[in-house]
Amino acid sequence: MVTTPDLDRDLTKRPRERSWGMVVDLDRCTGCQACVIACVAENNIPINDESHYHEGRVMSWIRVERYWEGEFPNVKARFIPLMCQHCENAPCEPVCPVYATYHNNEGLNVQVYNRCVGTRYCANNCPYHARSFNYWEPVWPEDLRHQLNPDVTVRSRGVMEKCTMCVQRIRRATRGRDDVPDGEFAPACVQACPTQTLTFGDLNDKSSRVYELSHDERNYTVLKSLGTAPNVTYLKKVED
Amino acid sequence: MALTRRQFLKWAGATGVGAVVFNGCSVPDEEIRVQSPLELPEDLVTGRDNYYATVSPADGEGLLVRVMEGRAKKVEGNPDYPINGGKHGVRTEGLLQALYHPDRIAQPLTRIAPKVGPFRRMGWPEGLETLKATLEAAEPGSVLIVTPPLRGALAGVVRSFANAYGARAAGFEPIGQAPLRRAVADVFGQQALPDFDISRANYIISFGADFLGTWVAPTRFMRGYGEFRQGHRARGRLVQVETRMSPTAAVADEWVYVNPGTEGRLAMAMAYVIIEDGVPPGGTDRAYTGGGGLGQIADYRPGAVAGAVGLPVERIVELARAFADSSHSPALAIGGGSAGAYSNGAANLRAVYALNHLVGAANRPGGVIYNPAPEGDRVDSLSLREWKDELERMRSGEVKVALIKDANLLYGLPAELDAAGALGNVETVVSFSAFLDETAAAAAVILPGHTPLEEWGSDAPEPGPGYRTAGYQQPVVRRFRDTMAFGDVLLQMGAQLGLEGMPGATMREAVRAEARAAHKTGRGSVRAPTFEEFWKRALERGGWWDASAVARSTSPVRQVAKSVAAPAFFGDARRYPFHLVPFEANALGAGQLSHVPWLQSMPDPMTTVAWSSWVELNPQTAKRMDIAQQDVVLVEASNGRFIRAPVYLNPATPPDVAAVPFGQGHAQFTSFAAGRGANLFDILSSGEERDTGALAWAGTRVRITKTNRRAKLPSLEGPDPAVQLADQPIIYIQRSNGGSGAAH
Repeated sequence: MVTTPDLDRDLTKRPRERSWGMVVDLDRCTGCQACVIACVAENNIPINDESHYHEGRVMSWIRVERYWEGEFPNVKARFIPLMCQHCENAPCEPVCPVYATYHNNEGLNVQVYNRCVGTRYCANNCPYHARSFNYWEPVWPEDLRHQLNPDVTVRSRGVMEKCTMCVQRIRRATRGRDDVPDGEFAPACVQACPTQTLTFGDLNDKSSRVYELSHDERNYTVLKSLGTAPNVTYLKKVED
Repeated sequence: MALTRRQFLKWAGATGVGAVVFNGCSVPDEEIRVQSPLELPEDLVTGRDNYYATVSPADGEGLLVRVMEGRAKKVEGNPDYPINGGKHGVRTEGLLQALYHPDRIAQPLTRIAPKVGPFRRMGWPEGLETLKATLEAAEPGSVLIVTPPLRGALAGVVRSFANAYGARAAGFEPIGQAPLRRAVADVFGQQALPDFDISRANYIISFGADFLGTWVAPTRFMRGYGEFRQGHRARGRLVQVETRMSPTAAVADEWVYVNPGTEGRLAMAMAYVIIEDGVPPGGTDRAYTGGGGLGQIADYRPGAVAGAVGLPVERIVELARAFADSSHSPALAIGGGSAGAYSNGAANLRAVYALNHLVGAANRPGGVIYNPAPEGDRVDSLSLREWKDELERMRSGEVKVALIKDANLLYGLPAELDAAGALGNVETVVSFSAFLDETAAAAAVILPGHTPLEEWGSDAPEPGPGYRTAGYQQPVVRRFRDTMAFGDVLLQMGAQLGLEGMPGATMREAVRAEARAAHKTGRGSVRAPTFEEFWKRALERGGWWDASAVARSTSPVRQVAKSVAAPAFFGDARRYPFHLVPFEANALGAGQLSHVPWLQSMPDPMTTVAWSSWVELNPQTAKRMDIAQQDVVLVEASNGRFIRAPVYLNPATPPDVAAVPFGQGHAQFTSFAAGRGANLFDILSSGEERDTGALAWAGTRVRITKTNRRAKLPSLEGPDPAVQLADQPIIYIQRSNGGSGAAH
């Protein structure tokens, strides 16, 4: 059954200005991949088979990168979860010839799949490698299709995709509501993260946890020199 | 006024033009928005979703499963459940794909010819009749029931059936926790595994336990770790003593490499220093000295063990003093994983856990938290020593019928034990697995079981949260294939064979019987005047827990860590110069979850490799052997067995270590697992831990030989291990002394 319960809502009414954002505390992250698999399950991301890895075409909206430093015995391995940074000055947006990627009025960098013609200019321009291109028609074994999330479009071949901060959850939670209590809902990655490395919320709400953390003394943004003004803030890892 | 057609057209035209002109003076915001005002796909609502609470007995996690139109869509942590508090680990999400897996066994199967040849399909009436006839014909003492370690209602059903019928029940897990259990029992006098109060600790030293990755209850421990680092208290300090850099070692403040199997001796030397300096207030040295003074452990003064351990004396002293430093209180010592997997594993762990007595961390906030003694029936894992005896019974014909549920003996026992040969001697093997793993493929009859989201059950999570907890497992969807829960099959057999003392007619009844006991206490998270109301609310919350039901028993501290023998390694050090350090794959465990495509596709946190096996070697060592990244090497053990796998040059691997993950190398177990990578159990020595007879899985030595083959590793980072660019780092470090900067 497919219903569109509020098609008659007042589409001209602008919702309260929100700016959805995230904080990633690197001092909490253990690289466990719970965020990655939660995102895959929530957002109908195709199964990355072995060939995807060999070809460097892994589909993931969030990934945990690991960087080595030094050699045994003086060696460090550090983890950083990376996803679309939802930049205010997003380099991916102006290069899209068909406005498939644009900035919405809630601080999200949004991808409209049925506008995308697959030029991949946006992926070329993204310094965070946050975008995945559907080089193949996504295929699931028949039975596994039962698990697909009906709230999320299955993207077809030739379409770019990336983290939406689980916009389907945002819409469910905020539909018809101006005030949604901080922490009432979260994207799948944030919800799963056992160490609470990830915090999500409205950066325009000064009482929100995400606002407070984004102003922590350890805050920084990745590749700040590029001037992309991300909506994702990182908190530095603490070491001796 | 009469309106002519001409006049109407004039006015309409003028009005239209005016509307366009005047409206153009102030274009409404929404008209210049790029965003489509139409309903986006995300706005569509496809049916109504329901969330059902259940538990995953394998992980001990409480779950909420989103169900729409009769199909499970998403597994999430149950915010109410005390173990995981709304969070979940990477493995839990795989339950969905187990449910809808395309290679599930769809209905009962039996061999066309006895013991050989292809299977043919049959219905459940024929399947149950076959099982009944088998059990009626068999001598009860010759029937062996094999399952993974069980807790909760299913353990009760298996035990009741085994007792009433006269069969034996045996638990099997490839990597058991017997040395850990023995150490906990000896050091703390506790039968249940304790919880660790990580969030309130100030200092943690962990020996071999990858507790933030794969060890025991990582989701629970990670919840505590987040608070330990950046909670409301001062940032805690973590030291990891381990022979391989695991994810826990990677995020630790210090990773201390010690020679394999010497973790216990390091703990003894630390104890020596602490006792010599003076035991901190609230602590006792009785676990080491028995009250007999420092002379009792004189052999473990730092100078005496430093060489064997591989650390300078000063470093040992430094570690000891940091652990006992009152400014670090409460301090906590954890041990497990590889530290318990040598021939001296239990002794290692006793020496480690006894450190908690020295600093008064036993059953104190921020330390080791005792759990109440387990209630109800259990099926514990047999040790490897006991499994060797079982295999002998199979070979001798003493075991005539084996009923096997999700215990993959043919994959997870060291190949040198020839479990396949032993099982082949059993007259009738009946498998209850949902998937055709190696052991199910050797069965005569397969009566496929449900997956966890389809069945009733209960769980007493271990470790618990420090108080009595019962999780209730309920079917969140109807069965997807023509399967039947293993517990229900046993209960039906019990009824048909006229067995007495079974806990109900169905698994649901067995779970309800457990819940009645909880209801009768009148305490805990759910209280209700009637049982039916209690049952409904407990199911809604995913279980019942009673924070007042804590561990009551504390026993006097005995001298349990007087000595730690040197480990015995399997293989001559000159001919087999590498320590083989196996480790559980982050998502696949020890191969139990290799059939789940999502879990296969999850990159290993340290190497970013997926879908594959690999051998981690030190880059300098590899260079000396003329081995390059992705060269295929032969890993050969002293038992003459070998595996092949490509090399990952890991800068954190010690020079004489070859680290290889468990999890791959299945011959069967669905199209997603079969024929992929190498099975480490193929080469592991079947050597035992001395005290418990458990598999000493970290005690095998190997030699590495380069082959003339190369194999591309499927990894996220690509062919070259990733390091940060000096001019564009993305990870920044805040120095705890106040400094700050990029990590290079």
